[in-house]
Amino acid sequence: MIILDSVTKKFGAFAAVDNVSYTIRKGESFALLGPNGAGKTTIVRMLLDFIKPSSGAITINGRSTSEPESRQHIGYIAEQHMIPPFLSGFEYLLRHASLIGLSGQDAVKEVDRVLEIVAMQGPQRKKSATYSRGMQQRIGLGAALLGQPRLLILDEPITGLDPIGIRDVRKILENLRGQGVTVILNSHLLSEVEKTCETAAILYKGKILIKDTITAIVKDHETLEDVFVRFIEQEHE
Amino acid sequence: MNNVIRISIYTLRDQMRHKSFYVLLGLSILFILTIRGCYDGGYTVNGKMVEPATVAWHVSKIVFHLIAAGMFLMVSMLSMKIFSRDHQDGSVVLFLSRSVFRWQYVLGRVTGTWALCLVFMFILHLTVFLTVWVKTGTIISGYLTASLICSINLLFVIACVCFFSLFMPDFISAFFTMGILFVGFISDGGYQIINSDIVRSAVPSSADGGPAMWRVVYPKVFMLQAYADAIISKSDFHNMGPFHPLLNLSLYIFLIMVLMLGYFNRKEI
Repeated sequence: MIILDSVTKKFGAFAAVDNVSYTIRKGESFALLGPNGAGKTTIVRMLLDFIKPSSGAITINGRSTSEPESRQHIGYIAEQHMIPPFLSGFEYLLRHASLIGLSGQDAVKEVDRVLEIVAMQGPQRKKSATYSRGMQQRIGLGAALLGQPRLLILDEPITGLDPIGIRDVRKILENLRGQGVTVILNSHLLSEVEKTCETAAILYKGKILIKDTITAIVKDHETLEDVFVRFIEQEHE
Repeated sequence: MNNVIRISIYTLRDQMRHKSFYVLLGLSILFILTIRGCYDGGYTVNGKMVEPATVAWHVSKIVFHLIAAGMFLMVSMLSMKIFSRDHQDGSVVLFLSRSVFRWQYVLGRVTGTWALCLVFMFILHLTVFLTVWVKTGTIISGYLTASLICSINLLFVIACVCFFSLFMPDFISAFFTMGILFVGFISDGGYQIINSDIVRSAVPSSADGGPAMWRVVYPKVFMLQAYADAIISKSDFHNMGPFHPLLNLSLYIFLIMVLMLGYFNRKEI
């Protein structure tokens, strides 16, 4: 269970996240929605302790995010996922596997398993400097899937992916949902969110405008996009 | 395996992937081998022939310090980009998105770089040691011990550059550290000259009066070189103040590491 309790993050006088509180239950597929600069990525970075909240507390399964153990079963893919250019996709994944405690043949088997899932078995031995944006994103997704994570944090995971890649990600997420993995998806592609997530929160200027199940947020004859635009426009006015 | 050791090994491997590492090592060894001709020359001082072993011994001491000085430069260049490069290529996210403490990451990077530079310097000193042995049959005892002692200097430089690079541009952090070394070189070098046998015999009152406090507590990088020199020469070591340079530098390294870890812990990734 992930709990954000009155979390505020300020950069100087600017509040990127302003007194946000919500809970994500185990096994929930949760989407963070909002326009650029709404504070979505800031929340993700706080979940991983890349930045500290100015006030409030975040816990993952009862542990504060400042404890590295809170990240023990987390898979994370960043928006514009970067892989050190001197490493091949295979070496990169092997490092991740090693950091989650796998070694020797176990690590190699696990890496091969995720390479198959993200369809990167061909070019896995090439240096990542030769990879396209989409290939880097696939390897990043592979890293997030290593070691059967209990929580997946996906920050714009489909950036740079072609339609087949997007479909693959959707299938992977559906599969993970079936396995009871908690997913936090940060995405601009609302049609994808509607297909893959069960709950969502709309953020605007660091504040949560609404958090509910997607079926409750989206009324008859509306799409998630319609609801999103309506909420943002209301706030503008 | 401990995360610090794991990250140290990755650091070593990543640095050794670069062809430039081997080119630099090869060129450095070639440069050292070029000096072996010095041992064959017939040198006369005041009309007397100087034994090749004596020449080799003196040349080796000079080369010992030249290697150390070159290593300071190389270490600075290697260390200044550790954090900024990791930030740019995603390495820092790789480590810190997993259950790795920030201090483990910093310590792993620093010890990995130190181990690499230590081995690099040791190979060069070993080359000198073996060359002298093969050419003159003389074993310069203490030469390799002195090399290992001087590796503490490398750790100090790495810690300094890494720390400064957290809040200064990379090149400036290396330049700033070189400045610290230069001030120490002037201060400690002056002290060594004043206390040398030649100056003492020429001007007996030259060493009267203790050095200023700041000079006593200043990082003793050059003094450690002088200590290593004394080990090779088997001569007296004139220390400045009550603290041995090894203790002085160990304290500085500890202090810098604590400050660096504290600062990095609050840093936004």
